[in-house]
Amino acid sequence: MLRLRLQWPRLFFLTFLGFHSCRFNGVPAEERLHWRSFLVKLGADNLKHAKNEELFVASHKSVYIVYTVLGDICLYVVGKDEYDELALAEAIFVITGSIKDICKKPPTERTFLDKYGKICLTLDEIVWKGILENTDKERIKRLVRLKPPTEF
Amino acid sequence: MADSSGTTLMDLITADPGPASSASGSTANATPSSATASAAASQSPSVPMTTTSSSSLGKTILGEKKSKRATLMQIQNETISAAKAALQPMKTNIMPQKQKKKPVSYSQLARSIHELAATSDQKSSQKQLVHHVFPKLAVYNSVDPSLAPSLLMLNQQCEDRTVLRYVYYYLARILSDNGAQGLSTGGGIPTPNWDALADIDAVGGVTRADVVPRIIEQLSAEASNVDTEFHARRLQALKALTYAPSSNSDILARLYEIVFGILDKVADTPQKRKKGVFGTKGGDKESIIRSNLQYGALSALRRLPLDPGNPVFLHRAVQGVSFADPIAVRHALEIISELAMKDPYAVAMALGTSRFKTGALQDVLHLHDVLARVALARLCHTVSRARALDERPDIKSQFNSLLYQLLLDPSERVCFEAVLCILGKYDSTERTEERAAGWYRLTREMLKLPENDSKSSKDKSQKTRRPQPLIKLVMRRLESSFRSFSRPVLHAAARVVQEMGKSRAAAFSVGLTDIDEGVSINEFADDDFNENPYADGARKASSMSGSTGSKETIASLLASLMEVVRTTVACECVYVRAMVIKALIWMQLPYESFDELESIITSELSDPAWPAALLNDILLTLHARFKATPDMAVTLLEIARIFATKVPGKIDADVLQLLWKTCLVGAGPNGKHTALEAVTIVLDLPPPQPGSPSGVTPVDRVSASDPKSALALQKLVQAAVWFLGENANYAASEYAWESATPPGTALMMLDADKMVAAASSRNPTLAGALTRLQRCAFSGSWEVRIVAAQALTTMAIRSGEPYRLQIYEFLNALAQGGVQSQLSEMHLSNGEDQGASGTGLGVLISPMIKVLDEMYRAQDELIKDIRNHDNTNKEWTDDELKKLYETNEKLLDIVSLFCYVPRAKYLPLGPISAKLIDVYRTKHNITASTGLSDPAVIATGISDLVYESKPAPAESDGLDDDLVNAWAANLGDDGLMGKSAPAMSRVNEFLAGMGTDAPDVDEENIVSRPSVGYDDMWAKTLLESSELEEEDARSSGSSSPDSIGSVETSISSHFGGMNYPSLFSSKPTSYGTSQTSERSGGNRYGSSSSIYEGASSPIREEPPSYASSVMQRHDSFENPMAAPESSSFESEDESRRNTSGNPQFGSALYDFTAGGDDELSLTSGEEVEIEYEVDGWFYVKKKRPGRDGKLAGLVPVLYVKPR
Repeated sequence: MLRLRLQWPRLFFLTFLGFHSCRFNGVPAEERLHWRSFLVKLGADNLKHAKNEELFVASHKSVYIVYTVLGDICLYVVGKDEYDELALAEAIFVITGSIKDICKKPPTERTFLDKYGKICLTLDEIVWKGILENTDKERIKRLVRLKPPTEF
Repeated sequence: MADSSGTTLMDLITADPGPASSASGSTANATPSSATASAAASQSPSVPMTTTSSSSLGKTILGEKKSKRATLMQIQNETISAAKAALQPMKTNIMPQKQKKKPVSYSQLARSIHELAATSDQKSSQKQLVHHVFPKLAVYNSVDPSLAPSLLMLNQQCEDRTVLRYVYYYLARILSDNGAQGLSTGGGIPTPNWDALADIDAVGGVTRADVVPRIIEQLSAEASNVDTEFHARRLQALKALTYAPSSNSDILARLYEIVFGILDKVADTPQKRKKGVFGTKGGDKESIIRSNLQYGALSALRRLPLDPGNPVFLHRAVQGVSFADPIAVRHALEIISELAMKDPYAVAMALGTSRFKTGALQDVLHLHDVLARVALARLCHTVSRARALDERPDIKSQFNSLLYQLLLDPSERVCFEAVLCILGKYDSTERTEERAAGWYRLTREMLKLPENDSKSSKDKSQKTRRPQPLIKLVMRRLESSFRSFSRPVLHAAARVVQEMGKSRAAAFSVGLTDIDEGVSINEFADDDFNENPYADGARKASSMSGSTGSKETIASLLASLMEVVRTTVACECVYVRAMVIKALIWMQLPYESFDELESIITSELSDPAWPAALLNDILLTLHARFKATPDMAVTLLEIARIFATKVPGKIDADVLQLLWKTCLVGAGPNGKHTALEAVTIVLDLPPPQPGSPSGVTPVDRVSASDPKSALALQKLVQAAVWFLGENANYAASEYAWESATPPGTALMMLDADKMVAAASSRNPTLAGALTRLQRCAFSGSWEVRIVAAQALTTMAIRSGEPYRLQIYEFLNALAQGGVQSQLSEMHLSNGEDQGASGTGLGVLISPMIKVLDEMYRAQDELIKDIRNHDNTNKEWTDDELKKLYETNEKLLDIVSLFCYVPRAKYLPLGPISAKLIDVYRTKHNITASTGLSDPAVIATGISDLVYESKPAPAESDGLDDDLVNAWAANLGDDGLMGKSAPAMSRVNEFLAGMGTDAPDVDEENIVSRPSVGYDDMWAKTLLESSELEEEDARSSGSSSPDSIGSVETSISSHFGGMNYPSLFSSKPTSYGTSQTSERSGGNRYGSSSSIYEGASSPIREEPPSYASSVMQRHDSFENPMAAPESSSFESEDESRRNTSGNPQFGSALYDFTAGGDDELSLTSGEEVEIEYEVDGWFYVKKKRPGRDGKLAGLVPVLYVKPR
């Protein structure tokens, strides 16, 4: 039965990259269950004593996973094709950077949820339909404020 | 469930962080509704992980650790009222301040949006939207379409940028195509299927279909607005539009129109990137706006489906390469590189004319965007390898040199991509030649810096940088990467080394046969092995140039690299270590000593941290390695043995079996014995350690410490026994239909001891296997014993005398019991009651003995008849012949129930009967295969050929005896065992049939694995076309060890196999290959290849359909790429449930109260639709929400009766 739960107080934050080329736009619903339990287990095995922003890597077939811990948040980025470990490491770096900027410091569960709306918008600018879009922090900030990407 | 702990997610969300809260509040009437809804707070199962919007992957998922019961109930109870509210916004303001701590329900949020949208001109309501309503709404994983009107209103009227940004965000989420399945796709708290709810509430329901056209209308109007002040919004509108379902061609056409409309305006004035740099601040406003629009348009274009035939599409993308915005350039390059795969010529022409002159592609090298450079690498690779461009070597070399320059890239990502491209690694379809050529390139070619640089840089480069051999650059880079502390970098570097190994293996295998490639094996041997492997000094010599220089060094470079790779095994991350081991396996060559590798693996395996899935992955690497280099069979089997002995509990019996099988088939005549020995090692696994908990059942001889691994080991033993039974004859090349000994003489030798001695002297391989099986038949656990008995029967039927007699005697003894004391000293009590018959196998064995009895009796009679006829010198009458023939057919039928035999050749009555039966056949014009059994023969109408002559040797899957035999042993999937064929081509062809076998072997439900052989396929196909009882089909892998070997199922499944041909022969045209191959061997090959079509590339480590089950089984994890085809290999019933085409329905037998978030409450008698099954649970959907207000969730299998 698939009812794994996080065993320690951490939120679970997951991003998929590069799955656009599948027939399903993204990960089919029933596989998400498996993904979730796989990743939760991965995290439970490895993230217990991890330092903030220490990168971990895993792979399954040709899918790569890079994950890390940021305060109370477990961040997972899953990718394939051109999004290999290194590209994912870059993506996760951008994401953690933005989250830290928004929450001011490594987020607790509370601050993370307080800022959740803004985090969603930010992520919306970083990843767009499964393709990595913006990586430049200033640019992301401008776009979240509905300003043009390059100012004049 | 656990609602014990304090704050819930909702509390966190709703507790107001700042003073702004005063303005907010929750609706007064929220309390009662939320309070009621009962126990079964459930959530649709995919909730907490999910991506936000299905089409948009890159979104978030917000799971939380605590129960979300309260919120869920609210959602469900109030959605309908929310939907109503959408239409008739309430006038009563309902925001008492006091209830701050109450969770904000979805419907409250929805209502506030409607209200605040109406008053959006006021500062306070804007503030509230931005700080409270929108952020909280984001926590829900989808957005109700009924919000769309209010959002659109906000979009038109509101001025506040933050509000607008949120509005675009939510509109995009409504647009994205996910509501259909009713499964949550967004992150966070689950929401119901809005469309379904809207259907229920016929009055106020708003579905996506209603609002999507309106949203698109408004957004496209915005996206076409040319007002410069508006262009930021224009970009966002365009972005939101790309989320619209791309399946709708109207919308798509419209999107193309908008995007190209923008590009028409902005793309045509070429601007140098320098200009942008120069005017970053306060510069040319117009050009900046233009570049922003270029960016927006290209990003949108990248999300739209490719349009390969469209010249405008290509033209715009090519223009994009020289845009000022780096991300626009990246998208342009990505689009071009994808187009290049389809039509390299057009792309090269489009690029060649303008871009090289202006240096746009060169500029990308200095672009500060890693992915842009990665895309450039891929583009260069595609173009420089394109066959279509063979007449234009100039273009090719331009792209090639660009690719080589990317090796110097400061980013590892780009450098590695370039290495992989050079190595010929490209998407998943790999070709050995391409790989081999890749290795050749890497080791031979030089990086010459381009001459078209500006003069100054040219001078410099000539002074400071001389041409470097690629290999040296790569090695240096890799070595420094291996010193990194970052796990992703280590993992990636190990992966690159693995790919190098693959290309190297390909180069070797091609070098053996294909000299046209220009790759000579001798050269390689010189380079790699005749050098002092530790000539480090040579490596450091900075000035080596020319091929002679590189000749000195490749070996030493590799040696020092491998040294670094080995040290990486010390990394604490298991995945990195796994990748390193894979790399080592690939870099291993057949004639190198593998002691080091062996010791590394041995020590690694004693680490309990290894997950089973990863170990199996490595086993599959062994498998792939074998395919690339069949010579490695012995080495690889040796490594596999380490796995079997060290971690028997973790490896998958099926994966191991696959490896055995592959090695057995591919190893050639000499390797067969070794391969079989490797299998038997499993049977000789060390006895349990004293004091281990499994001491009670020493049968397994496990060192497995927990029940799970004990079980796994048991399975392993079963697999080994089964494998032995199926394949011993093949390995020993001993077949009844080729036996030298006539049955008569064997019957004379009734002295068992002499018989055994004679047998083992004649064929030690078979005798050895026989002994092992005999031991298993009485000393194993009951599952093993059953399988062993079956295996013995198979061997008895297939082997000639004296083996058959030997087994016959043994089986008889076994059935009567008391063999144990008689046969050996092994009194291994397995703690079970052995039953009255000694081994408890009596019931099982008796049909088997009966068959053998029948055969012997018939043989006796035949001999008697022949004597009579000879004595009386009488001709055989037609009736007598007919009787004989009928007996023959009857016996064939019976025998076929137990195992496969080639019907046309097999003579249950012994070799003497051959002539008589032949006489009868010719007289009555009966083909050897008699209708049913050998459809291919009938279909092709060349049955005579089958008997008289062997077909031309050119046909690789022709009538080679070895083929028939291999095939008989269920090994001949390849059907290509031409003895004289060079090893590589044999394996390649073998791969065509077999490579894809891999995926199925470790399916979740092993019972019906296709690897068992064609008769299962037959049975399956039969099932699909004509509805045979499902039970039988499920056990169609009867001969597999897992189907606890009940004879009944085995018989019925073989019936399936036997019956199939009639179906089959009725439409022979559907199997193309059967035309050329006379025997159903080829025929079968045809059918199997048609099933496995398109997955025949050699050296592929991970065939795409190699689905997920390794993980699934152990971690309940599924490969996200397991395409739908993989489901076709799943067990009958599961695939049946999976296919969305014909959903399975069922009704609830009992009431069931959901015990967890993802479960669903049932009322007995309720109708449900079964989506799929997981571990004893059905995922079902209901038409209307039940007690818990949910529409879908998990329920125990036993609670639902499928129809």
